[in-house]
Amino acid sequence: MIGTNHSAATDGADADIAIVGAGPAGLACAAEAAALGLSSVLLDDNPRPGGQYLRHPAFATAPEDPLGADARRLASLLAVTALPQVSYRPGATVWDLPAPGVLAVAEGERSGRVRAHAIVLATGAYDRPAPFPGWTLPGVISAGAAQNLLKGMRILPGRRVVVAGNGPLLMLVAANLLACGVEVVAIAEAAPVSPRLWRALPLLLSQSDLLMQAARWRYAFWRAGVPFLQSWTIAHATGADRVDGAVLCPLNPDGTRDGARARSFACDSIIVGYGLLASVELLRLAKAALHWEPQRGGFVPVRDAAFRTTVPGVWAVGDGAGIGGARLAEAEGRIAAHAIATTRCHRGDQRRLSDLCARWGRIDQFRRGLEQLFAAPLPPHGPVGDETVICRCEEVTAGMLAAARDGGAESAVQVKAATRLGMGRCQGRNCLPSLSAMVAREQDASPGEVAWPMPRPPARMIPIGALLVESLPPPNLPADPHLPRKRAG
Amino acid sequence: MPPPDPVPAETDVAVIGGGVVGLFAALFLQRAGRSVAVLERAAIWSDASGANAGTIAVQNKRHEVVPLTRLAIRLWPTLKAEYGIDTAYSRPGGLRVAASETGVARLRRDAEKQAGAGLEIEWLEGNRLRDCAPWLGPSVRAATLCPEDGQASPLVTGIALSAALRQRGVALCTHAGVHQIARNGAQFVLDTPRGPLRAGAILIAAGVWSADVAALLGARLPLAVDVNMLSATEPAPALLDRVVTHADGVLSLKQYGNGTCLIGGGWQGQGDVSTGTRALDYENLLHNMRAAVSVVPGLAQVQLLRSWAGFEAVAPDSLPLFGCLPGLGEAYIVAGARGAYSQGPALGAEVARLMLAGETELDLTAFAPGRFAA
Ligand SMILES: Cc1cc2nc3c(=O)[nH]c(=O)nc-3n(C[C@H](O)[C@H](O)[C@H](O)COP(=O)(O)OP(=O)(O)OC[C@H]3O[C@@H](n4cnc5c(N)ncnc54)[C@H](O)[C@@H]3O)c2cc1C
Ligand SMILES: Cc1cc2nc3c(=O)[nH]c(=O)nc-3n(C[C@H](O)[C@H](O)[C@H](O)COP(=O)(O)OP(=O)(O)OC[C@H]3O[C@@H](n4cnc5c(N)ncnc54)[C@H](O)[C@@H]3O)c2cc1C
Repeated sequence: MIGTNHSAATDGADADIAIVGAGPAGLACAAEAAALGLSSVLLDDNPRPGGQYLRHPAFATAPEDPLGADARRLASLLAVTALPQVSYRPGATVWDLPAPGVLAVAEGERSGRVRAHAIVLATGAYDRPAPFPGWTLPGVISAGAAQNLLKGMRILPGRRVVVAGNGPLLMLVAANLLACGVEVVAIAEAAPVSPRLWRALPLLLSQSDLLMQAARWRYAFWRAGVPFLQSWTIAHATGADRVDGAVLCPLNPDGTRDGARARSFACDSIIVGYGLLASVELLRLAKAALHWEPQRGGFVPVRDAAFRTTVPGVWAVGDGAGIGGARLAEAEGRIAAHAIATTRCHRGDQRRLSDLCARWGRIDQFRRGLEQLFAAPLPPHGPVGDETVICRCEEVTAGMLAAARDGGAESAVQVKAATRLGMGRCQGRNCLPSLSAMVAREQDASPGEVAWPMPRPPARMIPIGALLVESLPPPNLPADPHLPRKRAG
Repeated sequence: MPPPDPVPAETDVAVIGGGVVGLFAALFLQRAGRSVAVLERAAIWSDASGANAGTIAVQNKRHEVVPLTRLAIRLWPTLKAEYGIDTAYSRPGGLRVAASETGVARLRRDAEKQAGAGLEIEWLEGNRLRDCAPWLGPSVRAATLCPEDGQASPLVTGIALSAALRQRGVALCTHAGVHQIARNGAQFVLDTPRGPLRAGAILIAAGVWSADVAALLGARLPLAVDVNMLSATEPAPALLDRVVTHADGVLSLKQYGNGTCLIGGGWQGQGDVSTGTRALDYENLLHNMRAAVSVVPGLAQVQLLRSWAGFEAVAPDSLPLFGCLPGLGEAYIVAGARGAYSQGPALGAEVARLMLAGETELDLTAFAPGRFAA
């Protein structure tokens, strides 16, 4: 079978594996599957393959790409889309899992169901929303978006920027901006300078190139005289209709802002990045068990060693299953392909698999080191201000949320109903995490204990026109529309 | 956040179920001076009443419930002024469309009956139809226009109604599902996880679980359960200016002021009450969207934001179960009316009258639960 154009799949399936997401994780899964003789359908809602990391072929890497030479190897993954065993389908939004082994896909004239023996969700991540007064002002940009502007279009977000947030992506963005000649006015990193560096170091040494890169960044910040404020956060942005400054302040040990020691910085844009959230919408719809791991992207799926979720036949890999970066994503995609090959037809290459697992182990060690290093209290760091918009789509402010709570809304679910928070075009991706953090704070609980509203398809909004093309058997129309339609009970 | 209302030790009337029926009944009972406690198993307005399409229409109803529905349509617009309850009610008038020969025939039959009952019904086809609703697709052959049809927002109504009841001193006891009912002389003793309650009278308004609650008293009632699907779109440009229903019963469609369109029509999802699961049915969802686009083609370009399924209780003849449970003293039930959201205020007002004075404004004897007694 290997190398032929034939699908190993039989009995009505479109392929052995249906992969959602053509980032490093999904591409690597398709590549490894192909090498094992398995066919795959690779569905991605973007016009180009590569996910968040590799989407911009014109500038495959940013000026300060931490992955260096590795980036070129990862970029070679893009060729996977041309393999005969891989049916790459760009512009395809997966919006539900209506039955075991079935994906509902909105894809223009090709819209319909895709069936496969195994489903691999490699849906990636997005910037964690971190509301503070002024965060909706023009000129406040998320770290991921700034990185995409830089990498994709060589667009600088501003000339004098303040960078605030938490985690490695923030440092990467700051270093990139500096390398592009932007004046970085200050960096506020929420994680404290900690003795943890010494504990984390042995773990970090497992990817020494990345560690060296980080050291070079810190040196560059120091040389350029950029204040690198650790255990600091952003208090608010100033400006009438555009950002003209940022107020930064230290964090108290309890994770709240210490307003008394605030400092103002003039700037024309603010890059904010308090980490990433895993895109788990499809996992929620599939009713996969999730658990709360704030540093890995909020709610992430429970998985076994081969990245199987608790839903039979559904795997989850890459940032969409827990933030770990492009290298880890790649390794996970490959390992999942082996696990699936084993369940499908007892093929698989034990040596290769154990090599991959060893590689995964080393990268994962590095990830754990980073997590120790960047451990910090989650935003919001104290009250966000009644006027501050939490849900941009429906323009719901923090004050309106508080009023709904005072009015008797007991849960996040009821606050949503009372305020329309989360009912707009982003379907809550950018506001439900803030709401759950706020409810948790009020109840002195972990956001992991706050019940989320029931997920409702579609996982991402889709044009109704996409639901008109699949050919279906004629419907059963009710003979008498008044009478019960489902005879039960 | 205020703590949930405690379950009182004693009340004149215990209403079982915090949906549209239970809450409106509580409103009218309280206004008549009774002390009322609403016992709700989950959260107030968390089931059918919070998940429905908000269509308040009369011309898509069975002939027998037209007077009841019209009573409700008289009440809906008064709620704001009389009780301070905002419902986002509006009455743009409804178009009931037909796209097939049998549909047109049904529409004509119904229109004659409805006109006979005093409803204002206008028959539209050809150019008059296109002039009235240029946004209709070519598949629509005829429609009836009824100015009494309208819509309200279930989200807005639920919040305002609960707030009004709290303000009037009605205890809204959440997480207080009734799991046992004993009779102690003329009194009822209701057991809930949050403590027992003694009540002089009870009203079962527990939606699709009403038969289960009645069974606690030994009464056996037939209730079927539909699993209706509903979909909401992004805020879209103005596409339609009427509430749309369908002669074949396959579409309900409306657009709110913010541009959101709600698309329903009784297409069945999956799941059942015994497991509590209510999920979409993929093919039926697609059929639902196709029915919508064939009637309003402009919808094809609109983005779908979310779809869900909810339970609707329907008596075997789709008429309400309304009245006293025979032989059980002051125990009443209101359940099983198709489209009970429309009729909510009327069902509440009428059952309050029945419980207080033993009579109703309309003749509702045909809906007595005893009609199913074996
Ligand atoms: C905005 C942003 C910028 C980043 N920039 C950098 C950087 O410059 N350097 C760096 O080292 N790391 C960067 N990261 C982190 C890095 O991108 C990730 O670690 C890496 O891409 C993870 O790979 P992945 O395959 O798991 O997910 P991704 O690369 O995110 O790929 C997931 C893909 O799945 C698609 N998808 C998701 N849901 C669906 C659906 N329902 N239907 C169809 N398709 C779907 C997504 O659109 C995406 O194309 C960035 C992250 C973000 C969020
Ligand atoms: C998707 C959908 C769309 C619809 N669209 C429309 C429409 O456009 N127009 C219209 O008129 N109608 C519509 N309907 C029907 C309408 O929603 C229902 O008929 C109406 O809401 C029923 O109200 P209810 O108060 O009887 O029940 P519910 O609103 O279901 O309330 C019953 C309550 O009782 C509680 N309960 C259950 N058991 C117990 C117990 N043992 N103890 C205490 N409490 C208990 C439940 O938790 C629930 O909150 C629709 C229904 C659905 C599902």
